[in-house]
Amino acid sequence: MRRTIFVLTIVLVLVLAGCRPAVPTPTPPPPTKPPTVVETPTPTPAPKAVTLTVIMEQVPDYDIVAELTKKFEAEHPHIKIKFDAMPYDAMRDKILTSFLAPTATYDVIIVDNPWMDEFAKAGFLTPLDDYIAKTEGYDFEDFVGPIREIGVVDGKIYGVPYYNYALGLIVRQDLFDNPEYKAKYQQQYGKPLTIPTTLEDYVQIGKFFRAQGIYGAAMQPQRGYKVFEEWKNWLYAAGGNLLDEKGNVIIDNEAAQKALTLYIEMFRNAAPPNSLNWGFDEAMRSMAAGESATMISYNWMLPTLNKPGGPAGDLAGKFALYEVPGGKAVLGAWHWAIPKNTPHKDAAWTYISWLTSKPIDKQRVIMGGAPTRVSVMTDKEVWEKGYGQQYYETVLKILEDAEPLARGPRAEEIIIEVGTYLNSAVAGEMTVAEALKAAADKVREILARP
Amino acid sequence: MIRKLFHLKYRMLFPIVLVLVLIMGYPLVFSFWVSLHDYRLTAIENVQWIGLKQYAMLFKNASYWTAMRNTIVFVVMAVTLELILGFGLAVLLHRPTTLFRHFFRAILLTPMFITPIAVGLMFRYMLNSQLGIIPNLLRLIGIQIDWFGPQLALFSLALIDVWQWTPFMMLLLLAGLEALPSEPFEAARVDGASSWRIIWHITLPMMRPIIIASVIIRMLDAFRVYEYVYAITRGGPGESTETIQYHIYRVGFLYFRMGEASAMAYTLIVVILFLVVLLFYSLRWEREK
Repeated sequence: MRRTIFVLTIVLVLVLAGCRPAVPTPTPPPPTKPPTVVETPTPTPAPKAVTLTVIMEQVPDYDIVAELTKKFEAEHPHIKIKFDAMPYDAMRDKILTSFLAPTATYDVIIVDNPWMDEFAKAGFLTPLDDYIAKTEGYDFEDFVGPIREIGVVDGKIYGVPYYNYALGLIVRQDLFDNPEYKAKYQQQYGKPLTIPTTLEDYVQIGKFFRAQGIYGAAMQPQRGYKVFEEWKNWLYAAGGNLLDEKGNVIIDNEAAQKALTLYIEMFRNAAPPNSLNWGFDEAMRSMAAGESATMISYNWMLPTLNKPGGPAGDLAGKFALYEVPGGKAVLGAWHWAIPKNTPHKDAAWTYISWLTSKPIDKQRVIMGGAPTRVSVMTDKEVWEKGYGQQYYETVLKILEDAEPLARGPRAEEIIIEVGTYLNSAVAGEMTVAEALKAAADKVREILARP
Repeated sequence: MIRKLFHLKYRMLFPIVLVLVLIMGYPLVFSFWVSLHDYRLTAIENVQWIGLKQYAMLFKNASYWTAMRNTIVFVVMAVTLELILGFGLAVLLHRPTTLFRHFFRAILLTPMFITPIAVGLMFRYMLNSQLGIIPNLLRLIGIQIDWFGPQLALFSLALIDVWQWTPFMMLLLLAGLEALPSEPFEAARVDGASSWRIIWHITLPMMRPIIIASVIIRMLDAFRVYEYVYAITRGGPGESTETIQYHIYRVGFLYFRMGEASAMAYTLIVVILFLVVLLFYSLRWEREK
């Protein structure tokens, strides 16, 4: 009997332990000892060896960073870098899990711009102001203003720019220079065929090329991020925005209606058929295959398309980059950040500040990386060894007049929800007014949440 | 009483009960607890009790209802087609006169062995209007179909499910056919009944319990559809292919609102439990008949 009671007690204890709702894991207290300072110029004992785990997106820029890092490890033998490169979709969950763990899985992370406010406000990131101030010659002000601002939340710097994906207008220059098309356009519309600077001109040019047997624009109306990212350029060009200066939701105003009406007009009359689900890769393939004349896409697509032996084959060299119609572009950017729960903050900053320092950033851009520093984009050596003066000057112009996709702790949700309604409107499931009203209501609901 | 409870035959159950409590009981109880709280992963130190508010809010959540409706439409389309095709294939492969029937049984089962996410990615390319072999072949005969357009996208996903899971349905029905007694069929043949009449008047009535069980098992499985949506449409165009599992993923893992996602998951459990109960009752009813 006693044995039975003993067994029963054990079972009950285990069952109750299993059933107890878990208490949320508190964020770990800051380390009691100061973290090992690795960059001390004083003749203190040799710095402790540290291995930093860095999470990155598996894109061509990762290969460049990995290559440069070999040099860093040679210069800083006590710091080893271990990369965990993965597709975009897997990153946010992994970074969040690392934040919630008692000790960080990742010592250095990259943060996409819609996540910045969310992570900073949740207290997951280390403020970098002091580190920046103490790092001699770092020149934080050299990063282009709008990108730099993304890393600043409530007056504190949480991220330093690494990579930009601002949008530009990529065109087949040979089509715009074609004398036959020029003459035809002049005759038909009474004005020269030039790179469009207004939405109306863009739609008209799109329809014109469609009539010549080339799709006017390879668009990306895919639900969620993609359509929102593309359409927001149209919204800026029409004079609209998501919120006004006072923070009121204005995504259903006249400007937004004009932007969406013209966007749908372009999609129905000039874009490749069956492209409702296209994202940037499908649009890029369409340009590379020579079936489309223009696309609004990431500025770094231009070097990809113009690369000899690249995806565009014989068309390489015929593509050119311009500012989007209206001039103001959607800005996307990745920033380096240090999680609050890593015990290797100093070593992490040593790595980040080295990689984003002027000379290394210049090397990275020459190797093909996306630029973020003004000094790098105006450097003659970068022009010569990189993709040419015109490209970097255009990128700089785009970046100087660009605004992030969305800001605030709910940016991810706003982008996906609005992008769902936009896609419904393009698909013809909702009218322009209905879709924008639903989107505006949704954004208001999201912003009203605690 | 306690002595009776601790009889050897009950004590033998303790290990499995313990394992079940740990691996199923804990997540269930914890997620229910989460569903009663404002539990956001970005505000985990500020978790607040809100009771059934989250469940009440689901009634007003249009996206939730769209996702539920899409899931039910998907399940009905996919399982109906799988039943018809699976039954046809089972009858063909059951006939001793069918050539190479054992070979075909093995070949037809292969789609089941591929992981659903790989099937999703595979069809994403095969049905892609730029690169896909299927749209290209159709273009050759002058047919242009937008497989992932608003009208067809959910049906396309159901067809992919049919490609992958018809063999499973066929396997269950084939097992049922093999277990049927041969006398009624022989008698019918002696009486000169045609093959169609035999299927309609003998095979189908005798197979009814197996068909019900197979349909409900497949329905339970189809309710979990997520991979095809994730790999191909991400719920689009609009919300036309957003299934409940994908919606739960969106709210829980993209917006980090775990409380709301848990509440949705619990409502799904209720729907699935209802189907399970239906399965048991229908089987018992068939046996008693």
